Amino acid sequence: MEKGQTTAVTAEKKKQKSKLSREIARHRSVYLLALIPMIYYIIFKYVPIWNAQIAFKDFKAVQGVVGSAWIGFENFKEFFNSFYFWSLLRNTIMYSVGKLLISLPLSILLAIAIYECTRPVLRKIVQTLAYLPHFLSWVIMYGILLTLLAPGDGVFNDILKMFGGNSIDFLSNTKAFPWVVLFSDAWKEMGWSAIIFIAALMGIDVSLFEAAMVEGANSWQRVRYITLPSILPVIVTVLILKLGTILDAGFNQIFMLYSPQVYSVADIIDTWVYRQGLLEFKFGLATAVGLFKGVFGMILVLFANWISKKVTESALF
Amino acid sequence: MKAKRIIAVFLIALMAIPMFASGSSEAKATAAGTPEDPVTIELWFGAAITEAGMIPDDWVGYEIIRNELGIDLKLSMLPSSESDQDMRIQATGAGNALPDIFMVRRPVLVNLVNQGLVAQVDDCFEKMPNRTALIYDDDAIRNATIDGHVYGFASPGAIAKNEGLLIRKDWLDNLGLEIPTTTDELLEVLRAFTFDDPDGNGLNDTYGYGAFVETDATLKGYPGSRLWPIMGAFGVEGLWCFDAPNQGLSIYKPEFYDFMVFLKGMCDEGIIDPNWLSYKKDDFRAAWKQGRFGVMYEQNAAYAAEANYAPFDSNFPDGEWVIIDAITGPDGHASIGAYDMNYRIYAVSQRAADAGKLDKICELLEWMSSDEGYYLLGWGQEGVNYVFDENGVPVAGDLGDNAYTGSKGQVYTQLRNLVFYNSDVELTSRYPTYTCAVSGKEMSALVALREMQSKKWTNAVGSSTLPTPSADVQRFYDQSLAEFLSGAKELTPENWAAFIDQFNKIGGEAWNAEGVAAMEADGLVRE
Repeated sequence: MEKGQTTAVTAEKKKQKSKLSREIARHRSVYLLALIPMIYYIIFKYVPIWNAQIAFKDFKAVQGVVGSAWIGFENFKEFFNSFYFWSLLRNTIMYSVGKLLISLPLSILLAIAIYECTRPVLRKIVQTLAYLPHFLSWVIMYGILLTLLAPGDGVFNDILKMFGGNSIDFLSNTKAFPWVVLFSDAWKEMGWSAIIFIAALMGIDVSLFEAAMVEGANSWQRVRYITLPSILPVIVTVLILKLGTILDAGFNQIFMLYSPQVYSVADIIDTWVYRQGLLEFKFGLATAVGLFKGVFGMILVLFANWISKKVTESALF
Repeated sequence: MKAKRIIAVFLIALMAIPMFASGSSEAKATAAGTPEDPVTIELWFGAAITEAGMIPDDWVGYEIIRNELGIDLKLSMLPSSESDQDMRIQATGAGNALPDIFMVRRPVLVNLVNQGLVAQVDDCFEKMPNRTALIYDDDAIRNATIDGHVYGFASPGAIAKNEGLLIRKDWLDNLGLEIPTTTDELLEVLRAFTFDDPDGNGLNDTYGYGAFVETDATLKGYPGSRLWPIMGAFGVEGLWCFDAPNQGLSIYKPEFYDFMVFLKGMCDEGIIDPNWLSYKKDDFRAAWKQGRFGVMYEQNAAYAAEANYAPFDSNFPDGEWVIIDAITGPDGHASIGAYDMNYRIYAVSQRAADAGKLDKICELLEWMSSDEGYYLLGWGQEGVNYVFDENGVPVAGDLGDNAYTGSKGQVYTQLRNLVFYNSDVELTSRYPTYTCAVSGKEMSALVALREMQSKKWTNAVGSSTLPTPSADVQRFYDQSLAEFLSGAKELTPENWAAFIDQFNKIGGEAWNAEGVAAMEADGLVRE
């Protein structure tokens, strides 16, 4: 009897295995497609995890990752004890949250506007113009911003002066600088971020809109009661994913735009790591900060996912 | 279960790959070093013309070096920006994969030496007698010396004292003003340039002084060298002061506060281009060519070389910049700026030394300074990329695009900084006299250079060997001064004292003490 049971279990396993093999064979093109990103993630994301141990070591290149001496949490302590730690953390979170609060609603609004637009030509023009800045580097963007915002002859300041106001040095004024960062990021990335929401909007059943129109719902009511609830799961997913990178406030952008006058509101964790970690050959310190950011982000993602599941019954996993 | 176990083992094995890739690789020179079996030498160099391309694969130098030296030379061009260079070198160093010989800035060299990644080259100079006589004098060797050992080959970089204070002579003439000699006169001129329409176009579109923030961690402390002529009037030009009894950081001198008050006054009056805090180098250079300001501190070639002067000449055929003397301050100080000897250091990786390549590298460098190497790397092939004029100076002649100055020919001179040592022949060749296309004026960046060098400068030789601050101290220094200038922090004696006090606490005092100790150890303090 026992032997019979074992044989049955083995047969069941074989059946499952052959079913899996058949499934893979049937959808081989999809699996092949998935293989490329999987290889990417294994090589560039999983393999380097091994090197994360230098966060706990006094890393010496000639001794290598394994040979360097363990120093416990010294690298983390150096980061946490930095003179500017709280200022760095505050600025980083300020920009991350600010970008989330400004860019996300703007992206959703843009997506809805494009979706609702009934003139195909206008829609295409707006879409293209909105995507375009995403492809510009921050070096180019800096040049554009300088032309627009320079205190001497920037377009914005010319307008201010025309109406009798005083010019503002947007790029070196501590009050204005954060807004420049937030809105220039929104301008650059809004169009690109809207793609995912446009895709979600495309998936809404058109009959819902038709029924609503028959019932006399106006445009705003259709957006409020059909569009937004329909794309809510996508919004939640995007929000949760963004929380995972909450301590990535946009190194390239800040690095190009900041200057000593605005360090107090511009210096973020990544720019500090660049100066203190990478340029000073403190790779252990840089790795420790990276690890800290990753763990912090993961905790936020798990927490946000849990909250989302409780409140909206929609979650990432 | 079995499949999951296999996947888990596979992933762990993949993660362990770096263990075998780092820290243990040692290249061995097994080649004979003959044309048939050459030793491979990998050289990362700083390009002479950053905007031009890489040396082509058909460069005749590869063949000559292989046939004459038994070296298979592999070249790689470093990024043009210093911070990108630093990043590339240090990231490669972190993987213990530095090339055999590479250009490196001294602060980065110190990091690499601390990591044991760079070879000592104390004994190499006697193997390169010709090159050492031409290039490696005592100052150069000292520049690459760390803790008593030489860790690189330092060759002359940018020419010292190659910048000057310039003023728009045509604007002065339009307004009936004289060249300023004191800070008070300078202020009057700057006010007139800002408010009295010096270009006569009827628009309020000019400023007195133009600048941008150009700093580094060893010589050009914030607000940077573009303000040096004004700092010089207060005796605080240069990050470090080498004169006893004030040796140490210039920020500690009481006159630094006076300079800050003066500069803040210029900012408040609006007589310095308000964009100066936002400009990058290219923005600043575009601005003076557009006639935006009338006084500036600029480098000789950036001002007077043909390609650089042409836009200004085209915009303002009647415009004229003149190089003026240092401005004298209230206490009689005057200086155009602080100068250090500039060097480009080429270091040899410990891996290359362990692989027995050091002798071959010395052989290669010595060949570069031979007549054959010097002209080939400096100007290309005779008759193809250059010809000699009647004075024996290489010139472009009528070789067109293939000339060393032409778009096709210039890429063959990308290695010239490895052989140039600012000789008269090089300078005459690099900065020829020319006639401006629109105004017909005769210009020469070499004449400008000689005039700039003749002005009063402050000796700060040795600055580049002094310690650099931590990132936090550097930020505090820069940020605090910037906030005083922008008005974010009120510039009063009390606030200044509080700034100095806090600066000392977070590490400034230790940085200063370390710097003074290094100065004294190297005999740099002047009595």
